[in-house]
Amino acid sequence: MKELVEYIARSLVQEPEQVRVQEKQSGRSVTITLHVASDDIGRVIGKNGRVANAIRTLLKVQASKEGKRVFLEIE
Amino acid sequence: MEKRGESVEVRGKTVEEAIAAGLAQLGLRREQVEVEILSQGSRGLLGIGAEDARVRLTPIVEAAPAEPQEPVLSEEYWEGPEEEEVRAEGPKAPALSPKEVERIAREALQGILQRMSIQARIVSKPPTEFMLEGDNPPPVVLDIQGRDLGVLIGRRGETLGALQFLVRLIVNHRTRRWYNVVIDVQGYKERREQQLRRLAERMAEQVVATRRSVVLEAMPPYERRIVHLALRNHPKVTTHSIGEGDNRKVMIHLRQ
Repeated sequence: MKELVEYIARSLVQEPEQVRVQEKQSGRSVTITLHVASDDIGRVIGKNGRVANAIRTLLKVQASKEGKRVFLEIE
Repeated sequence: MEKRGESVEVRGKTVEEAIAAGLAQLGLRREQVEVEILSQGSRGLLGIGAEDARVRLTPIVEAAPAEPQEPVLSEEYWEGPEEEEVRAEGPKAPALSPKEVERIAREALQGILQRMSIQARIVSKPPTEFMLEGDNPPPVVLDIQGRDLGVLIGRRGETLGALQFLVRLIVNHRTRRWYNVVIDVQGYKERREQQLRRLAERMAEQVVATRRSVVLEAMPPYERRIVHLALRNHPKVTTHSIGEGDNRKVMIHLRQ
């Protein structure tokens, strides 16, 4: 799931080399933390959070296959 | 882009009466305002519990020139990035050929699917009439084909919407320009268009026969757009969207 977030984020930002993604498992929950350059935060969140929500929607497809819950945090 | 004037909210026994009252108040014609139906009102039983219809009229100060036939192409139905989000990326780049746009869109889509561990083929298709947008160049349409791809569609097409949104965003980011890209899964959108067109026609017949308006179930933007387009040239009925956000619905009512 980490790879998906990494790919999308790198494809949308001005500074792809600054993209870092961490994945933490805790029982059936997976938390993915996305870090981008501060000028790029708007690009991965989007107006009214549309970009972040679209990424979450795709993550859910994978998570539900594995019977997990996934959370995406952006910093 | 249109500029808008101050809007007014008016009441009336019916939606049409409320619109007429609002137009009189503003001194404008129907085509000079945008109508939002806030409440359709209800007649109540023997006049008990009757509720006024409420509408909001917003004057269009500088209407887009000569396109009264295309109100359904408004940005409400655009499921890609907003213009300002692309413009923020810097100067506009030169236009690319459709082949080039297709290559970039394919690459973005393939990149996403691969990282979702989905095995599929990506096939390009000609756009359907509902995918065309006025004078804009026809979109690049990519259909994802394979087995067990229902998960890519999701409830009410939500997952497919997210996938298309992100592909458009990546294409716009890479090209520094605006291109329309449509993503489909196993021809889902084409089938849905046909279903919606039949539904719209059936409901329009019902509205004409009963002389009562019909409100369809809540639909995502591109599906509402299909209903509006399907009935755009209907001689007897016309359509509006009512409600907000995920709860937005198409209402079909008699032309007056």
